[in-house]
Amino acid sequence: MSDATPNPVDPTPAHERENPEPHEQENFPSLLLLFLCSILVFVSALYLQRYSGNFDPLVYNEEVQGAGSAAAGSAAVVDPIAAGKRLFVNNCVTCHQANGQGLAGVYPPLAGSDWVNDGEEALVRILIHGMSGPVVVNGVTYNGAMPAFGPLGSNWKDDKIAHVLTYIRQEWGNKGAPVTKETVARIRAETAARTKAWTAPELAEFHPKK
Amino acid sequence: MSSADPSFVASLKPGTPEATAERALLSEIDVSTRRPVFFFLCAALVWLLVGTGFALIASIKLHNPAFLGQAEWLTFGNVRTAHLNSVVYGWATNAAFAVALWIMARLSRTQVRHLGILDVAGFFWNLGVAIGIVGILRGDSTSIEWLEFPAYATPLLFVAYALIGIWAIIAFRFRQPGHVYVSQWYLLAALFWFPWLYSIAQLMLVFAPVRGAVQPLVNWWFAHNVLGLWFTPIGLAAIYYFLPKVLGKPIHSYYLSALGFWSLALFYNWAGVHHLIGGPIPAWVLSAGIVASLLMIIPVVTTGINHHLTMFGSFGRLKDSPTLRFMVFGGMSYTLVSLIGSAMAVRSFNEIAHFTHFTVAHAHHGLYAFFTMVMFGSIYYMMPRLTGREWPSAPLISAHFWFCAVGITIYVVGLKIGGLIQGWEMVATTTSEAGEVALRVPLFLDIVKHTLPYLVSRSLAGMMITIGHLAFAVHFVWMLLQPRAVAGAQPVRLSPDAALPASRA
Repeated sequence: MSDATPNPVDPTPAHERENPEPHEQENFPSLLLLFLCSILVFVSALYLQRYSGNFDPLVYNEEVQGAGSAAAGSAAVVDPIAAGKRLFVNNCVTCHQANGQGLAGVYPPLAGSDWVNDGEEALVRILIHGMSGPVVVNGVTYNGAMPAFGPLGSNWKDDKIAHVLTYIRQEWGNKGAPVTKETVARIRAETAARTKAWTAPELAEFHPKK
Repeated sequence: MSSADPSFVASLKPGTPEATAERALLSEIDVSTRRPVFFFLCAALVWLLVGTGFALIASIKLHNPAFLGQAEWLTFGNVRTAHLNSVVYGWATNAAFAVALWIMARLSRTQVRHLGILDVAGFFWNLGVAIGIVGILRGDSTSIEWLEFPAYATPLLFVAYALIGIWAIIAFRFRQPGHVYVSQWYLLAALFWFPWLYSIAQLMLVFAPVRGAVQPLVNWWFAHNVLGLWFTPIGLAAIYYFLPKVLGKPIHSYYLSALGFWSLALFYNWAGVHHLIGGPIPAWVLSAGIVASLLMIIPVVTTGINHHLTMFGSFGRLKDSPTLRFMVFGGMSYTLVSLIGSAMAVRSFNEIAHFTHFTVAHAHHGLYAFFTMVMFGSIYYMMPRLTGREWPSAPLISAHFWFCAVGITIYVVGLKIGGLIQGWEMVATTTSEAGEVALRVPLFLDIVKHTLPYLVSRSLAGMMITIGHLAFAVHFVWMLLQPRAVAGAQPVRLSPDAALPASRA
């Protein structure tokens, strides 16, 4: 402050009329208040116990209950159809369409397709590394590009690839058997050296009808 | 000042009444803190006006998007962010520095020395805030809520903070022996909590960002705790100090103070996670945050009861004392906003209220109706002692109080109603003829239109608050232009009722 006063330590008028510094009385709080606080702590503990998913870092749904092993077990009981459908809706419908019919000339159909129903060897390979160039499906030629979902592309794990393939092999009237993640893991290991997408002639040996 | 200055206390004759000696001591302490505290208050006032300006622009843009639509520096994203940061780090934190330093020195009964470093730190803090605000307006915002200052501004802020915060801690370290008052607990804790929060959040989000879902966890841990572990303890410390000071009565119960303090320290730190309900966060983390939010009822109710029982029987004094008016408004808002906050953490209510204007109303309820009003009350008490001048105008104080109090009430009530409407419409469901319940696909534009009246009410409330702030600023400057008050000068009185005891504020 710039103003110089004769004696700056003189108390101001406000100081002169000021009350003494504060202090506290020793009144003991009402027992009712302490009781209610305890109830709140108790109820909170119940809530935490009930909705903590066993403090499992992988449980995101607060409704999950049961022992730790049960929670770990529930992670294994994923419905492949439901999981696969979600994956399909989020990643595949733009090209293959919700009805699995694809787009004429570019994206082949999945519904009723011989590639989808007959063998899983070619199908898993296509998903891992993708496919490009002309391909004949049910006697019709399509020429497009299928992206890779393995390490060259979206880097899906084995179970995701298994789920989405299992889903498309039973939807739209398809009758293919489920694809297991063990199959995916095996094929992934066999094709680990590959660095580019498949073409239809390369896959011909895996296609049971050819 | 150096210790060689003649001490008024030392010159007192033996046998001087104790109260006189205490006032002389307080006066000397106030002289020692006067320059930095006054600087922080002036800086706070400037940022308050700047922040209010940004707030009005942002509010008007929400119902009138073409407003200032040509100014690229003033897009909604920039202005809203500049508003938040200028009021949080400019106004509220400068005011908190002033109040914390002033109260801490007084309660520790120790003079603050080496003011030069404090001056430099204060200057650099405000320089850092200014650089940050300009950076935000240039488009350099970090996009992390509550930490939008670009990385080139924040190290300056942290170093400046360290120098400022440490001064109050040193004052506490060299306190006179005796009872440590509840305000000192809160201040000391807050002065340690803030640098902890700020440095960790800066490190983990800006300088060496953690990945994935840990980012929002750190973000909301920080953003919620700035309110709960920095502004709340400073505000409560001020209430605990000024309430008994103005009333001349002791605080009702030491035990309630202790329960309130320790339960806040224990629970608040967990509560911020409830902002992430519905997000990809492990269930137990969210549940722990919810539980902590509910347990916050304990410190809030305890502190509220303690304040209320201290006030009990003295509500008539509200007619007269400006400090008391702002303090009681702030204290009651603290109770209310905190209870609503606990409710907002409950999953079923959070689904409706989150991501709506309800949350915005809640933030202003806390930072304005509680903290800012308490800071105003503190400033009305501190300024006569800092400057030796009396507040010149009762009508301006009344205008300040009523425009701000009514304004923030309209703001909070209006926006909460608007937020509930918005929240309900966004989660509304329909039942098909087959009995299937599905989310009603919301027509976003319809929901926006339904909230329009409440957005307009917010702008009107904001204008009222602006008028209140202008009254305060004019009064502040007018006070400085007054001559020093002569001995025996009477304080400004808000009520002509002579039967009331003279306000001590």
